[in-house]
Amino acid sequence: MNCDGFYERITDHQEGVLSTDDCSAIEAHLKHCQECNGLRSDLEALAKLCREAKEKAEMPPAVRARIESLLQQES
Amino acid sequence: MSTPPPVESVARQALSQALIQHGDRLYSLALRVTRDPDMAADAVQEAFATALQRAADFRGDSAAGTWLHRIVYTKSIDLLRRRGRDAVLPEEDVSGIASEDDRPSRGAAWARPPDEILYGRETRAALAKAMEALTPLQRVVFEMRDVEERATDEVAEILGLPAGTVRVHLHRARLRLRAQLGTHFRGMS
Repeated sequence: MNCDGFYERITDHQEGVLSTDDCSAIEAHLKHCQECNGLRSDLEALAKLCREAKEKAEMPPAVRARIESLLQQES
Repeated sequence: MSTPPPVESVARQALSQALIQHGDRLYSLALRVTRDPDMAADAVQEAFATALQRAADFRGDSAAGTWLHRIVYTKSIDLLRRRGRDAVLPEEDVSGIASEDDRPSRGAAWARPPDEILYGRETRAALAKAMEALTPLQRVVFEMRDVEERATDEVAEILGLPAGTVRVHLHRARLRLRAQLGTHFRGMS
């Protein structure tokens, strides 16, 4: 496994869909590659950052009211 | 024996319940796809109207939320297309994992700013700008999977895509966001 291989497979690795052999190759690569460890930790930080920065979107009351009205209409 | 209520009546009740239970998340989904509050409102309203027309398909069980999410997603994409907004960033094909514009970021790890900077206003603005660089599908896949932490299979079901395709878009979204935000963080270090 080289850096290109890691770069292409990191999401599949995190998603748990790689073969045992591929997982072993990735773990072996990470033991000596600082650059790919940086990529992995950046992606973990990215997800955490996005979760913590997310602002809750609420349906505007006027939109909710229009849908409620639609659902109350008899055909 | 009493006559069972007509299908449409059952659907109206179930959709009213779904509006209470899933309304904010459905609107949030439409907003993520369209990035436009007015269009998001239209998408959600059209989705409920369509759901009502397809009352016979409504199962009223735990899958109802997924079904409605899928209709909202489809309506949002339809609206973007009708209004010509999807021409900004065409969806990539899924034959290759990485597109060339993501690759230059590979070697440059983020600097690690202090948390107060990391979660500050500037970073929020940079994050919003980075999200704009994603295609609508990348954006919605990333947010459902990594932000809302839904299972990949559920995202695939909502979007009507194979799980493998969802993973391809997730991969591209993550790498593109990292590249976009890397510029921001390196500028702060």
